[in-house]
Amino acid sequence: MTNKSNNGFNNWQKSFEKETKKNLSDAKSETDEGIDIKPVYTKDDLENFAFVENNSLPGQWPYTRGPKASMYTNRPWTIRQYAGFSTAEESNEFYKKNLESGQKGLSVAFDLPTHRGYDSDDDLVMGDVGKAGVAIDTVEDMKILFNNIPLEQMSVSMTMNGAVLPVLASFIVAGEEQGVDRSLLSGTIQNDILKEFMVRNTYIYPPEPSMKIVADIIEFTSKEMPKFNSISISGYHMQEAGADNVLELAYTLADGMEYVRAAMSKGLDVDDFAPRLSFFFAIGTDFFMEIAKLRAARTLWAKIMKDFGAKNERSLILRTHCQTSGVSLTEKDPYNNIIRTSYEALSAILGGTQSLHTNSFDEAIALPTDESARIARNTQLILQNETGVTKTVDPLAGSYFVENLTEELSKKAWDIITEIEELGGMTKAVKAGVPKLKIEESATKKQAKVDSGSRVVVGVNKYKNPKEPSVDVRVIDNNRVRDDQIKKIKAIKKSRDTTAVEKVLANLTNAAKDETNLLVPCIEAIRLRATVGEVSKALEQVYGRHFAKSLSVSGVYGKQFEGDKDFMKVEKKVIDFENANGRRPRVLVVKIGQDGHDRGAKIVATSFADMGFDVDMGPLFQTPKDVAKDAIENDVHAIGVSTLAAGHKTLVPELMKALSNIDPKSKIIVFVGGIIPEQDYEFLYKNNVSAIFGPGSNIIECAEKVIDLISDNLSKE
Amino acid sequence: MELIENIQKGERAAIAKAITLVESSKDSDQQISRQLISELIKKPGKSIRIGFSGPPGVGKSTFIESFGSYLVTQNYKLGILAIDPSSQITGGSILGDKTRMVEISKNPNTFIRSTPSKGALGGISMGTREASIILDAAGYDFIFIETVGVGQSEIVASNLVDIFTLIVGPGSGDELQGIKKGITEYADIFIVNKNDGELKIEASKTAADYKSALSYYKKLDELEKQVLLVSAIEQTGMEDVIKTINQIVDQNKQKGIFEERRADQLEFWIEEEVKNIIASDITKRLSSKGNISKYSEKVMKNEMSMYEAVETITKDTLK
Ligand code: B12
Ligand SMILES: Nc1nc2c(ncn2[C@@H]2O[C@H](COP(=O)(O)OP(=O)(O)OP(=O)(O)O)[C@@H](O)[C@H]2O)c(=O)[nH]1
Ligand SMILES: [Mg+2]
Repeated sequence: MTNKSNNGFNNWQKSFEKETKKNLSDAKSETDEGIDIKPVYTKDDLENFAFVENNSLPGQWPYTRGPKASMYTNRPWTIRQYAGFSTAEESNEFYKKNLESGQKGLSVAFDLPTHRGYDSDDDLVMGDVGKAGVAIDTVEDMKILFNNIPLEQMSVSMTMNGAVLPVLASFIVAGEEQGVDRSLLSGTIQNDILKEFMVRNTYIYPPEPSMKIVADIIEFTSKEMPKFNSISISGYHMQEAGADNVLELAYTLADGMEYVRAAMSKGLDVDDFAPRLSFFFAIGTDFFMEIAKLRAARTLWAKIMKDFGAKNERSLILRTHCQTSGVSLTEKDPYNNIIRTSYEALSAILGGTQSLHTNSFDEAIALPTDESARIARNTQLILQNETGVTKTVDPLAGSYFVENLTEELSKKAWDIITEIEELGGMTKAVKAGVPKLKIEESATKKQAKVDSGSRVVVGVNKYKNPKEPSVDVRVIDNNRVRDDQIKKIKAIKKSRDTTAVEKVLANLTNAAKDETNLLVPCIEAIRLRATVGEVSKALEQVYGRHFAKSLSVSGVYGKQFEGDKDFMKVEKKVIDFENANGRRPRVLVVKIGQDGHDRGAKIVATSFADMGFDVDMGPLFQTPKDVAKDAIENDVHAIGVSTLAAGHKTLVPELMKALSNIDPKSKIIVFVGGIIPEQDYEFLYKNNVSAIFGPGSNIIECAEKVIDLISDNLSKE
Repeated sequence: MELIENIQKGERAAIAKAITLVESSKDSDQQISRQLISELIKKPGKSIRIGFSGPPGVGKSTFIESFGSYLVTQNYKLGILAIDPSSQITGGSILGDKTRMVEISKNPNTFIRSTPSKGALGGISMGTREASIILDAAGYDFIFIETVGVGQSEIVASNLVDIFTLIVGPGSGDELQGIKKGITEYADIFIVNKNDGELKIEASKTAADYKSALSYYKKLDELEKQVLLVSAIEQTGMEDVIKTINQIVDQNKQKGIFEERRADQLEFWIEEEVKNIIASDITKRLSSKGNISKYSEKVMKNEMSMYEAVETITKDTLK
């Protein structure tokens, strides 16, 4: 007998409806993914599954319950904290301290110039050196980074995609010069370029040659580095950019399929490389959904790989790293973030992750301090040592709700995957820009929910702390870092064999013209002390640099505010402004430098347009000069600089200078949004910034303030 | 006016401010703008104005980036007016053209202005003609005008430029039937874009379709219209485009067509302007008298026929 037809359920339903004064059928709540969550699940909800198999076991097909039979009962997950800043020396010190305090694996964060293949002495990256990660210009920096860290013992994860060739080459050569053969190196290189074009924005070359490079790396590592994961197929960045869990899941697995095809096109057998593919997911605040996502990911990947003809069981198994969500963390009342991160971490563990990064509570303010990083690490140490969560494998298996959710997510993701496959795969989809747009749409909806108050964020739009605590901030003096790096580059360029370097770079350029595996000549070039920038440029000569075409969603934000008083108030102000001034308020929203965080800029642009502003959207990676030219030619009323990667103290004054260079009488006002530590407010105001909008700003309030500032400024004329 | 001098000196900010004036819907701005244009027109520059029109997404902006980069390396000064079709019902717009013109927008020899179309004149914004006069006075060699081609707008756009180019995509040959006559009259050059990768075969086929359709509609005394294959992304075919443009300009100048066209366009714009003024005047009168609602009530009550009402209102309004 099924549950629904028995008396027990009917009685429960009656009680429920009496208590809630609602019909059961109306008592669903819809998630961001468009899944209806019911108030209660029963045995009936375990039926008619297409993906999940009810009686499966951990370490067995379809691996829903975990990649291994014993999971944490044998060995807990790896605590792997992602970090890196300023110079190799300082990052090295930081790593060593962390390893002493119980961290097990290393995870290197590179700075943006390195990601984008520029040396620290390049004019284009003036504001970015060492700011958001560690600067690596040559193999000498890489050697310093791992000084006294034995590379044959330490598993090292490197988040590198754009400049993956010179950076992996530097890692290999650093190993060599430590006396460690490459076959002994263990760890992971992210090497996931597709999501760069979608959301992370540290690509260098166009999609096709970039995919070729990915395949080169898979090929090389599968032959020469058996302990090294050739790729970390990442959904994490998609969720951070605003994707819901279905989008994250579907696009990540679809990316994975594309990489499998790319590797197979090199003539590799699927089982040659598939066991070394690894994954990376974000874990947000939707507790059960995140658990279900990891379970669904394993289930679907097993099916996908079987369809690719994998024979080796290890090829079927999805192993993943997870990171708690940075975007769920708030600048306001920041100690709340410790609590958020703890729940997210628990979710990742219940979902069965292989390794985990937990964020620091000061995430929305700056890079973590030693102290906040310690708390973040301890979050995991406490989970491992005090809570007992390691004692049972997949403890939520059999939960009506979690199993059902796992199936629902699988189904929804599978539909999207099928659609993408029918359109010719992810490379094509990415080139057309559709996934990016879908993610932006989802991000915009989320923002509207928070701004309208229909989604509560504690300390931001409800339960605000009247006495905001002040917290310590890690400050990086990028001018000093840049000077240090430039000195090192100069010294190396002086002492190396210039003709040999030139020759090897020319070889590399030639190799890019045919099908040669490019990692081999890159290793040679790096060994001879060619810089990361030089290697990247040698390839750029053949491939060119990629400029992304930016599409924008429209109407998504406004739709959530139909009839909203505050929204309509701004709309009316815009119309009044137009009547008084002969045109609408016109605002140029820009990103400057190598900072690729475009979620905020895109959301603000589309929301302002929905309120009636004319919004000019600049491309990524502009220089202050480019921005000034754009602003003046379009005679905008204001420039809104969105800056998250800590370049603001260099780039904003440069922008002011560039504006007055073109037009000494320029009346264009400048405001700034993004990650600005409070300590920097005064500096920016002194540099004539009119307003600053930090994380968590309500966009309708931003818009109103902007239009008021513009009106004030015009009335001064 | 100081503004005039500064425009003629080519000062970026002055040019930009002047364009704002001609685009402004404010009466006082319009007055200044008329003075300004009257002055500027006395000292015309040497610009050739080229229109690029075509359906959304065929690659107009990408083509302009590509072709423009080619021109600026030849030391030409290039002014670009991009009419952005993205305005929404709410009236706001996201002007994203610059994200598709990354290289040329950095170049000091370019001036790029995006304007929200606001639905005026089927895609052409108020002030585009005046803006091109300003850029001409400021010494730009070429002025590109990018408009989305939808129906009527092509006629308006073609009246803004010396050479009117229609950009189409591979596979658009099938639509030829629908647009046949109009385009052969208004466009001077047909560019089939995206002639690259898998699309190459389709692009060549489309070009052939256009060629045969064009020869069919060619008038006796007309020049053969050119159909060019390009790839904006791979930057191929650009020399052909500039060669063709120069050829047409030379020929038209020789035959006097160039000046004749500008004269015809002037007529067109005078007529447009007069019509606009009359139309807005009439609209004002209509609404102030409230005749429409008054008479439509009568029609509803069968006190008079609709035609009688129309006639009465018209007479009363034009009085
Ligand atoms: C999402 C995110 C990402 C995503 C970005 C996706 C994307 N396409 O945008 C991913 C995962 C790809 C990413 C990657 C990286 N990230 Co990140 N990321 C974040 C995170 C978690 C949230 C940012 C966000 O999008 N918030 C949501 C949006 C809507 O908010 P917002 O941008 O702040 O905008 C609001 C306001 O600031 C304001 N606003 C902003 N701009 C404007 C403009 C105008 C005109 C107006 C009116 C208002 C306004 O209004 C908005 C609405 O409220 C922040 C930490 C945090 N919690 O803020 C770190 C953070 C910004 N990232 C950081 C770093 C270091 C990186 C990396 C460089 C790491 C590395 N070394 O590899 C990479 C490289 C990225 C790159 N290419 O630049 C650091 C920067 C450190 C610093 N400033 O000192 C941060 C602060 C995290 C940290 N503490 O370490 N990241
Ligand atoms: N394959 C190929 N794609 C192109 C080419 N030119 C443009 N595209 C692509 O076509 C899409 C639209 O390009 P845009 O330049 O924005 O087109 P547009 O006509 O200006 O579009 P609207 O201004 O929105 O009407 C982009 O994705 C371009 O990458 C080309 O030569 N070849
Ligand atoms: Mg365009």
